[in-house]
Amino acid sequence: MNPIKKIFDLLEHDFSESGNFAKLAPLFDATKTFFFLPSPKTRIGPFIRDHLDLKRYMSVVLLSLMPVLFFGMYNTGFQSGLARGESLDFWSAFLSGAWVVMPIVIVSYAVGFFWEILFAAIRRHPISEGFLVTGMLFPLTLPPTIPLWQAALGISFGVVIGKEIFGGTGRNILNPALTARAFVFFSYPVTMSGNVWVAGANAVDGITGATALAVTADGGTSLTAALADQGFTLPHLFFGLVPGSIGETSALCCLIGAAILTLTRIANYRIILGGMAGLILTALLTWLLPGTYGTWADAGPLYHLCAGGFLFGITFMATDPVSAPGTNPGRWIFGFLIGFLTVILRVANPAFAEGVMLAILFMNVFAPLLDHLVMKHRISKRIPNV
Amino acid sequence: MEKIAPSKGFKLKLAGMPDTSVIRLSRPATVGVSALDIPHIRPKLLVKEKQAVKTGTPLFHDKRDPDIRYVSPGTGTVKQIRFGPRRRLVEVVIALDGMDDFVEFDPVSPADLNSLSDPDLTDRLKQGGMWQTLRQLPSRDTADSRSTPPLIIVCLNGNDLFSPHPGRVLEDKIKPFEFGLAILQRFSDRVIVAARKSSMDRLEPVRHRITHQVADIYPAWDPGAILYHIKTKAEENQAWYIHVEGLIRMARFLETGRYPVETMVTVTKGHDKKPHMITRLGAPVRLLAGNFSPESVITTGQLNGRKVDPDTHLGFFETTLNILPDAPDDEMFGFLRPGLNKPTVSKTFLSCLVNKEVQLDGTLHGEERACINCGYCETICPVDLMPSFIMKALHGDDIEEALQLGLLDCCRCGLCSFTCPSKIELTQILSLGMDTHHKDKQG
Repeated sequence: MNPIKKIFDLLEHDFSESGNFAKLAPLFDATKTFFFLPSPKTRIGPFIRDHLDLKRYMSVVLLSLMPVLFFGMYNTGFQSGLARGESLDFWSAFLSGAWVVMPIVIVSYAVGFFWEILFAAIRRHPISEGFLVTGMLFPLTLPPTIPLWQAALGISFGVVIGKEIFGGTGRNILNPALTARAFVFFSYPVTMSGNVWVAGANAVDGITGATALAVTADGGTSLTAALADQGFTLPHLFFGLVPGSIGETSALCCLIGAAILTLTRIANYRIILGGMAGLILTALLTWLLPGTYGTWADAGPLYHLCAGGFLFGITFMATDPVSAPGTNPGRWIFGFLIGFLTVILRVANPAFAEGVMLAILFMNVFAPLLDHLVMKHRISKRIPNV
Repeated sequence: MEKIAPSKGFKLKLAGMPDTSVIRLSRPATVGVSALDIPHIRPKLLVKEKQAVKTGTPLFHDKRDPDIRYVSPGTGTVKQIRFGPRRRLVEVVIALDGMDDFVEFDPVSPADLNSLSDPDLTDRLKQGGMWQTLRQLPSRDTADSRSTPPLIIVCLNGNDLFSPHPGRVLEDKIKPFEFGLAILQRFSDRVIVAARKSSMDRLEPVRHRITHQVADIYPAWDPGAILYHIKTKAEENQAWYIHVEGLIRMARFLETGRYPVETMVTVTKGHDKKPHMITRLGAPVRLLAGNFSPESVITTGQLNGRKVDPDTHLGFFETTLNILPDAPDDEMFGFLRPGLNKPTVSKTFLSCLVNKEVQLDGTLHGEERACINCGYCETICPVDLMPSFIMKALHGDDIEEALQLGLLDCCRCGLCSFTCPSKIELTQILSLGMDTHHKDKQG
């Protein structure tokens, strides 16, 4: 018999209903099922079941986040080195970035799991795998300079207010990771905007740490020229070696994640494609508007696509199945409107450069309405059976 | 011949397709009439233990219509009347005598059929224990003899992936089949005969009778799925249907005046190829299943059947047994493995790159979780339902909304439960909703 299995079997009694640690049963159960995938017998038909379960489902999302996470670590180290004027080789950049990023991830998981376990113990339901994804998504949307206590507070808000008070996984209206980020953004604006995007930059004077979206052009230059001036050329934005939130800078890594999620059919491609279509069409429209020279309205679709957190948001946040619509036409509209709103917020409100977070949260609220309208249409097409 | 090609359904290749050769099993020592696979029935026993019965003697009837009788498929004595929880009738077991002695009815030849009046015909089929082979959608209850069906669907393929091949069932029975169709035409002007595409090769002699050819995707040949794809107006929802075995037995009963007792069954067991078997109606499960490990699960359909106790007998409507292997132990880091040997309709395991026959075991492969609205149930539902939305409506006790969303179109194929990553028993929830609605309507 497997030695690890033996340990679990030995401990099982203590966590059973009559055991000393009965309250911690969900924690024990989560740990045990992490090691050993449970396979209870089917009680009722169908007697055979698909191999996909929620653990696998969520681990595929985690897998798709790995390029973003690892690149985020490297980029954090790279930007920090750049700010200090040191030129770092790959491994030292990666390791110094990991030294900054890992504590944020660990705090997010530790604090988030605390709430998850607390609610599971009180409600006597199993710990949901959904948190594995929330706990990873949240730190990736933060600047690397975020104080750890703010990250802890943010994830607490996201898990408790964003999810648990609605009844837990599957019942939340808003994406918990984005709820957490929105909380930090609105509560601690100083640490979430301005020159906060490069870790270690404060040590050196005269280093700008703003993101591409904060760039505006004046004095007759075009926006693209102003962007290029500050190092935000299109290839830089696409590969992601620019300051920004830990996970959102690299369009390429987000696209790799999107490819993994779409090929495995975990994320619904309709949301991602709809979002891109919405963004590109709206960006084209604003680009054609006269008198916008030098603002983000003049940036063109490619800059809108690669700059800021749009690809990260549409790939990993908008595709959260719980808070997105459950009908296919609803998903197209949902995605499209996120793209549309992102551009409109970027263009119309320079004080709030990054629009994707609000666009997704806003559309999360409207997802049930979209579903309702689609279902009404579907019902009208069905031949009634009553 | 019209073609129905739904794009949704079960596309994995399951191992165990039976061999098309036929063997005849020896006479069993006991036969049983099971009440477990008869939907909605409220049985009332008509015999006692140790009572002698002939082939065709009524054993129990349906309290809702006492004329609908379930008769003995053999001559002998009632050996045992088994009850389940809450004294629900499980089955009546008959110990067979050496010789068959029949309850005799006047035979009706195909030429005489028209001389029989409608009530006479119905009455005779009820007396002979044949009426209940006709069933009515959407609740799949016994057909209501007072109503006129808008159409009758004849299903050449059974409910399961591995039901007997209609070519084998119909072999040497073309005449009873034609007679059966003539009987059905007495009840409705529109009789639809549907066959699976892969069955067509052996159906040459009845090809001109087949009106619809359905794709080879489970459950495209289910009467509910067929109706969903051909119906044009709401009245057609009350269609009747009959499986080809029942139709042939009905015709033979009228022609000979005796209760026909032969049936053809298949047994599916892993990668074994077992032949089709001719046996007596209600044969013992042990006799059919042969050797199996005590841990295995025996069902009458892997996706939409019921679990059978090996010590009971095959049900009235059932023509197939599936033997599912023992479940393996909990697997270490099961959710992280590449999964070359883990068949799935999703694309999350490497098995989706390999296209070979697979055998699934009878385990959930995970634990029940909340619905995360992933939409897998919708992408597989053969009748375009959104099972997760219906489930939520039913949980909110909003039967009206569930009905609007198409609850009664559900053909109980089991695919939504099969594919759900949260392991929610969607099929059971929807079935219970349908049954409750049917019961309410009956009053």
